[in-house]
Amino acid sequence: MWKDYSSGYIKNNRSSGIAVMIAAFISALLLSLLCGLFYNAWKYEVERIQLEEGGWQSRIAGDIDPGDIEAIKNFARVKDAVVNEKAAQGHETVLDLYFDDMDAVLEDTPRIAEIAGISPETAIYNYELLAMYLIRSPQDTAPRLLFPMFLIIMGMASLSLIVIIHNSFAVSMNARIHQFGIFSSIGATPKQIRVCLLQEAAALCAIPVIAGNLLGIGISMVLIQMVNTLLGSSVSGRHQAVFGYHPLVLVLTLLVTVFTIWISAWLPARKLSRLTPLEAIKNTGELMLKRKKKSPVLTFIFGMEGELAGNALKAQRKALRTASLSLIFSFMAFTLMQCFFTLSGISTRETYFEKYQDVWDIMVTVKDTEADSFAETKEIQTLPGVRSAIVYQKAAAETIITEEEISDEMKSFGGFSHASGNDAVQTEAGWSVNAPIMILDDASFQDYCEEIGITPRLDGAVIRNQIRDVTNPDFRHPRYMPYVKGSNTVSILRKSGEEGTGVEIPVLSYTEHVPALREEYATVDYYELVHFIPMSLWKEIKGQIADAGEDSYICVLGNENADLEELNTLQAEINRIVAGAYVTESENRILKKESNDRQVQGMMAIFGGFCVLLAIIGTGSVFSNTLGFVRQRKREFARYMSVGLTPEEIRKMFCIEALVIAGRPIIITIPLAVITVGYLLKASYLEVEIFLAEAPFVPIAVFMLGIVGTVALAYYLGWRNVRKINLAEALRDDTMM
Amino acid sequence: MESLKVSNLCKTYIIEKRQNNVLRNVSLEIKQGEMVAVMGPSGSGKTTLLYTVSGMDDATAGKVDFFGKEMTGLTANEISDMRLEEMGFVFQQMYMLKNLSIYDNIIMPAYQTSGGKTKKGRAAVNERAKILMQKLGISEVADNDINEVSGGQLQRACICRSLINEPKIIFADEPTGALNKQNSIEVMDELNRINLDGTSILLVTHDMKVAARCERVLYIEDGDIREDITLGKWQKDQDMRVRERTLNDWLVKLGW
Repeated sequence: MWKDYSSGYIKNNRSSGIAVMIAAFISALLLSLLCGLFYNAWKYEVERIQLEEGGWQSRIAGDIDPGDIEAIKNFARVKDAVVNEKAAQGHETVLDLYFDDMDAVLEDTPRIAEIAGISPETAIYNYELLAMYLIRSPQDTAPRLLFPMFLIIMGMASLSLIVIIHNSFAVSMNARIHQFGIFSSIGATPKQIRVCLLQEAAALCAIPVIAGNLLGIGISMVLIQMVNTLLGSSVSGRHQAVFGYHPLVLVLTLLVTVFTIWISAWLPARKLSRLTPLEAIKNTGELMLKRKKKSPVLTFIFGMEGELAGNALKAQRKALRTASLSLIFSFMAFTLMQCFFTLSGISTRETYFEKYQDVWDIMVTVKDTEADSFAETKEIQTLPGVRSAIVYQKAAAETIITEEEISDEMKSFGGFSHASGNDAVQTEAGWSVNAPIMILDDASFQDYCEEIGITPRLDGAVIRNQIRDVTNPDFRHPRYMPYVKGSNTVSILRKSGEEGTGVEIPVLSYTEHVPALREEYATVDYYELVHFIPMSLWKEIKGQIADAGEDSYICVLGNENADLEELNTLQAEINRIVAGAYVTESENRILKKESNDRQVQGMMAIFGGFCVLLAIIGTGSVFSNTLGFVRQRKREFARYMSVGLTPEEIRKMFCIEALVIAGRPIIITIPLAVITVGYLLKASYLEVEIFLAEAPFVPIAVFMLGIVGTVALAYYLGWRNVRKINLAEALRDDTMM
Repeated sequence: MESLKVSNLCKTYIIEKRQNNVLRNVSLEIKQGEMVAVMGPSGSGKTTLLYTVSGMDDATAGKVDFFGKEMTGLTANEISDMRLEEMGFVFQQMYMLKNLSIYDNIIMPAYQTSGGKTKKGRAAVNERAKILMQKLGISEVADNDINEVSGGQLQRACICRSLINEPKIIFADEPTGALNKQNSIEVMDELNRINLDGTSILLVTHDMKVAARCERVLYIEDGDIREDITLGKWQKDQDMRVRERTLNDWLVKLGW
């Protein structure tokens, strides 16, 4: 049947297969992209584990005789056994084992341990690495989610594609239902019809599947490079991802693609083959123009042509479902994405980059180091190009605030009545609140004292005397007031969660002005009373009242209006000073902003790409509809013309159809976007004017025009084919053929 | 002698929750080599009877014994095979595949049979098709597209297609409905000739002249066969006016 009929049909009716080919191409592209990205994610993880943990698969430790090591090396399926001196503790020998066949790890390692005279239970396995090769031990209880996640995402992608593209196959197949009715009437079995339809689908999809797969590989390669560019310099400890592709991945991708397309084609083919010959033969493939419901809006706006267009659109509803849904979702996703990223950008800029612009240029985290043992403070502070450099450490403590100490302003909004049990605990002595301690190097503390107008001293604390009006949830425009009256000359600090007398420290001043640090105070716990103390005082009281954080920080402010080059130089200088003696991580404000911008742009490019892809599915479906139903539309228009409609009126009807298809996503999306943005603006306490000044009108308009233009083009091409009507020929009953 | 026996055949359509009994306990028998016409007013169930008897549509109830084979309970594939090898169809609208030539349309069903899949079998099919086309006078349009021939030629091509697998019976639904007078006569001449060769024919028609060429005429009304009349075998040189008058009187009596 295939040779006799289908090959000829495909050759003579190429345009009707366009929708199917586009659907197959897009499916193959998406699935190939996903497989390519997942393979590279897997590869990257394997490389990361090998870099961080090592490539060993199992490890045994104990008193291992050199002779035994040789015996282990010669053990079947063992590739190598390497003595790990780094991991060795005391006199124990640590032996890293590498296997030719990784499946043998769990089976052979206990035996090898026995050869070495070590208890098999003490063997250690590189579970993280083994899990990457789907080797799981019952002892490994950690969730290894990469493969399950991959399977779930692939399954969901495949299902979503089936839902989207099976309609293209259904439309293409249903257009020929009458022909299959004829087949059936002359004795073709349902199976033969199904096989014929699937063979046709295979013939149409072969090239798009290959092309989609190749393009998917190419895009995944570009994306990996983009990720390297975006994250390469800004994520510490990250190694460069190198694109790779295994032939098995291609086989897997092809299998998943073929499965997805086969199911998409099989569903309508099965439905069609189950029709009785009579049901099939009576269906002429014509658009069933039934007056089901009026289109009052179109009729009101465009008159009779509007009503006819509305009727035609209702008749084509099933054929246009993929187009409508894809266009609506693509435009909606694109608009909401643009609005969201704009809002997020404004928020990040206001709350992070602009807020801290004059506070830091270089920020260094000195790992596992106490600030009082950091000896390079002076050297950094005297570096050329450094306006200020504060070395500091954080510590947690608690203090008591009595009712009498609370400021009148704070009392006016209820004192501690709004505080949660975690933030302020009422005790017999008063309210126990958190008192975070910021320990500044002595020089910086003295500078700070001068800034707030008090005599610099190194034996007391400056207390941040400010609290937010907690009854006002607007975090962007908070109202502050004094926390305490500020009459106490000493502050009693004690260890968090411990009863005890604590330590009395002199209070040098209560102030609203805080030192220039990249820190936020009282954002989670509104009732914390922050203490700034000098390093000298900390050395005296340390251990008695507070637990210090593990890391120290250096907050450096460069010259005013310093550019990226200057900051890079400064960062390099500071790194040179601290790198040898400490483990550090450093950030550069301008570089971080640029990196943040690049990441946002990258995310927008990826999301935008998916939106464009959806729009391509939608417009592709519109093209296939306008170009694939020429015969039916010719008959439809011939009927209208035979009762007096002019070609001009029919052209208008075509324009209205295009307008409805392209306009529907806009009409649905714009109100939704306005509501969503309004809600987000309210939730983020941003002014409408600020958003409107930066609102993404241009990209949204370009995307919208892209959709409108493409739909208009599809209808224009369709119109060009349809307008050449020979009335007699078009009205002839084509069921004779 | 084998025959097509229909017993208590019912067909009910449910449209928008309303039950429409199109065929009500229809029983009939068509003997091998018999040519039977079904007449009746519009909507009486003539076409439904034809399609249900031939397995083109499912029956709601009843039995169809197709020349010794019980059709009720057969799978869709088995009925398809039966349609391919033992039945021929001629439709008012011809129903030819438009991207195949006249010749390809005719031989296509034969190529689907088990015998038509071998080289030798196909050669036999081609030979048979040529003979049939010659007999029906359409050899010269064999390679034409279906829209390049007249309605009569197309219908004769349809008859060729229905005969290509040498069926036991031809089901014809208004075979002359789309043809002019001359073409109608030609097509009916062919059908009569085929019938004389031994092929049974069950046809549905509104045309008294067509029905008058049949051996027996059934009158169906409200989904049931009300009466039938036997006119006898058609002879080539017979005076058709006598048969037509007899049929007319009978139909008038029935309220036609």
